[in-house]
Amino acid sequence: MESTAIKENENPLRVGLRLEKTADPCTVIIFGASGDLTKRKLVPALYRLVQQRLLPAEFAIVGLARTEMSDDEFRSKMKEAVEQFSETKQVDPEVWDSFGQGVYYRSTDIGSTADFQKLGDLLDRIDRERGTGGNRLFYLSVAPRFYAQAVEQLGRAGLTKAKAGRWVRVIIEKPFGTNLESARLLNNQILQHLDELQIYRIDHYLGKETVQNLLAFRFANGIFEPLWNRQYIDHVQLTNAEAVGVEGRGGYYEGAGVVRDMIQNHVFQVLSLVAMEPPAHLGAEAVRDEKIKVMTAAREFTPERVKSDCVRGQYGSGSSGGKPVPGYREEEGVVSDSATETYAMLTMYFDNWRWAGVPFYLRSGKRLPKRVTEIAIQFREAPHQLFGAGIMEQVTPNQLIIRIQPDEGITLRFAAKVPGQITQIRDVNMDFRYGSSFGVQLAEAYERLLLDCILGDSTLYARKDMTERGWELVMPILEQWAENKREVPFPNYEAGTWGPAAANELIERRGRPWRRP
Amino acid sequence: MPLETQVSELAVSPSKGLDIQRIEKQLTSMWSEAGTAESSHSGVTRACTLNLIVYTTPEDDASELDELLNRVNEQHPGRTLILIVDRDAKEAKLDGYVSTRCRLLGGTGKQICGEQVTIEASGPTVETVASAVTPLLVPDVPVYLWWKDIPHYQDKLFDRLADTADRIVIDSSAFDHPHEDLRRLAKMIEDPHRELSVSDLNWGRLTSWRTLLASFWDVPDYRPLLDSIDTVEIEYVPPQSALGEIAPKALLLAGWLSSRLNWVVVDKRASKNERSAEFNLKCGESSVLLAFRRGQTANTGMLSSVRLSTKYGAASFYVGLHSGGTKLQTEAKLGAEHLVGRLLTYERRSEADRLSRELAFPGRDLVYEEALARGAQLIL
Repeated sequence: MESTAIKENENPLRVGLRLEKTADPCTVIIFGASGDLTKRKLVPALYRLVQQRLLPAEFAIVGLARTEMSDDEFRSKMKEAVEQFSETKQVDPEVWDSFGQGVYYRSTDIGSTADFQKLGDLLDRIDRERGTGGNRLFYLSVAPRFYAQAVEQLGRAGLTKAKAGRWVRVIIEKPFGTNLESARLLNNQILQHLDELQIYRIDHYLGKETVQNLLAFRFANGIFEPLWNRQYIDHVQLTNAEAVGVEGRGGYYEGAGVVRDMIQNHVFQVLSLVAMEPPAHLGAEAVRDEKIKVMTAAREFTPERVKSDCVRGQYGSGSSGGKPVPGYREEEGVVSDSATETYAMLTMYFDNWRWAGVPFYLRSGKRLPKRVTEIAIQFREAPHQLFGAGIMEQVTPNQLIIRIQPDEGITLRFAAKVPGQITQIRDVNMDFRYGSSFGVQLAEAYERLLLDCILGDSTLYARKDMTERGWELVMPILEQWAENKREVPFPNYEAGTWGPAAANELIERRGRPWRRP
Repeated sequence: MPLETQVSELAVSPSKGLDIQRIEKQLTSMWSEAGTAESSHSGVTRACTLNLIVYTTPEDDASELDELLNRVNEQHPGRTLILIVDRDAKEAKLDGYVSTRCRLLGGTGKQICGEQVTIEASGPTVETVASAVTPLLVPDVPVYLWWKDIPHYQDKLFDRLADTADRIVIDSSAFDHPHEDLRRLAKMIEDPHRELSVSDLNWGRLTSWRTLLASFWDVPDYRPLLDSIDTVEIEYVPPQSALGEIAPKALLLAGWLSSRLNWVVVDKRASKNERSAEFNLKCGESSVLLAFRRGQTANTGMLSSVRLSTKYGAASFYVGLHSGGTKLQTEAKLGAEHLVGRLLTYERRSEADRLSRELAFPGRDLVYEEALARGAQLIL
């Protein structure tokens, strides 16, 4: 029988409450509070966490941006944002007022030392008035060029140092650098004022339920892990597709491209969870140690490999969801002869005992037929075929598909006999869907990640070594593609299709078709 | 809402009993029909996460139960066995039918289905109906028994079904004689021979209150004050069935505080008036006054407020209903200066949600059991 005995320092009333975690009193300070992320994601997520009683009453939010605004103006903007962007829709005025009392705004210039001194005074006042206890979470949701400066100013104002028994943490949004050099420089700059344990580099993909379920699926089940290696797995396909184009962010995207925007961060994070060894325990460092270990075993991209194992693409005009859409070069903010890739396929190998010789095919792109992120593990064929070729015509090797979005779930595909006098074998799917088996609404990724940071759990955040390794791996590809801009005639795929023909040819040459997600 | 419900009558009689094999066969054929039906172009997914036995009586509103089970099935698809039992009828009767509950999975064209067997028993067959239920349980998934009635003591049917179940779900808010029934329930759970694992939907209704009360002491600065609590005031509205008794919810909450904080009941103080009941409790050398006060600001059987205060009122922690019971207000007050509070939406969960939450936990709930035992001591 499970004991209800109380451990030292444990809140005796918390025992047995089905509420998983509880947070310390704290203040969340958002840099870039007039931006889109604050109103679409951050404040709605914090409001929901409060409503779900996951944050204590001793909690406050301070919004910082250049725009001049009063506390009340900011509060009413945030109320509108919560109504517009969260499931809550209609916010009760009384409940909002109670929440809003803990919401503040200060017009702040990141270059002004005086503004940071004033911020320090405000935070001390909030600690006294609202009992937030000196715990502070700074969220950098500003343009990347301000990251280092913001941290430096916090450091100079003495705001990166926590009082005894309290904590100070900093969440940094993506992109983390634009290449290896800038990522290293940024890491060095922020580490002058912060300890690595205080830094939370956010990757919202890791906040998704299925990504977290990857750990449970692999390491809580006894039947999959024994098969999770080169002996039974033929190859792995990771698809990260978006149906949308650049959505008015052409200016940003021109300097980025899909490798910088998606692959070196999100796709590599997910990939490392698929390929890593079991961690010793579920502590943040143990999990992140294993992730970096497997990424260290990833085969480098030599010039030959970039040529033979990678494909780039850019969409031309076409149609999406039945309506005509322009090509990338016709998007706002994009130059007419742009060489930026909107699609990339990479073939990766992990040179270690588990994965030697098993290709991992990754593809990510914009304006593909639908929005989907999934990992398809393709197993080897049965070693000996009892059934004739005609009977097996409709059968593909076993596949395990882990869908991350939308419609999170897991599918196992296996062959079964079609009932009847004739022996005929067909593939059937065994589906597990989060929505149907648990029928619960999955938490928004930002809710989970913000709460984790407040709780001091950095498992789902990227560590310094991982961000740098991501860049290290993709730099040869980016450099070679930049040097040979005109090698591939862009656009080379029509909007609304599954990418350039070369990507299909590459995988098919190796006898493996792309799965249609 | 179910997309489709298929129902098929079973040929049964009290003399022949239920033909288990035939029921299984009928369910199998319903599955294959569902899979080939024109409406299911993308196939049917059968999902089974549990067995749920529902004990109910003919007085219960069948359509209400049906609606509730539809919603529960969405979160916990599985096999539902409904037992409609008429103990007062003289004539022996045994009827049954099987049905499937399907719903469309968003955007996929796929249907997800659970299955249901309904058995109506009356008169002498009530004694033996358990033997028709147990072979119908799906193997390898947990069995929940939702006893939609006051738990019957020394009752063959209850005992047989309770033995099979991994967890029994009851609702102490529906007790006719709350004090007596709570005492009997506590005794039954304490019985080491029975090892019953019980969930109380009424305990689930306290979760918001317990969470908000507990969260005061998640704040490290307030933690030491928990040991100096010397007064607890619980305001409640008595249950409709027994206006002179303390509501089970109030007793469970008091039981929870006293079991978690190691308070021992010393005695009951002489009542000042019929609207309040006070108890002396001890925690080591310190004394705690526990006062139940009858209020009017909530629905019957509900709590209106809970206040915990330290010596001389130096600090107090309050959770109470606000705005006609649609919100909960919290307040932590330290001395004259420090006051932190907030107002939160009080989301009243539906009965289906509550049941679904209970079905997510198969093991024993020791915190509930201890709270019930302490709560029952107050009404000995």
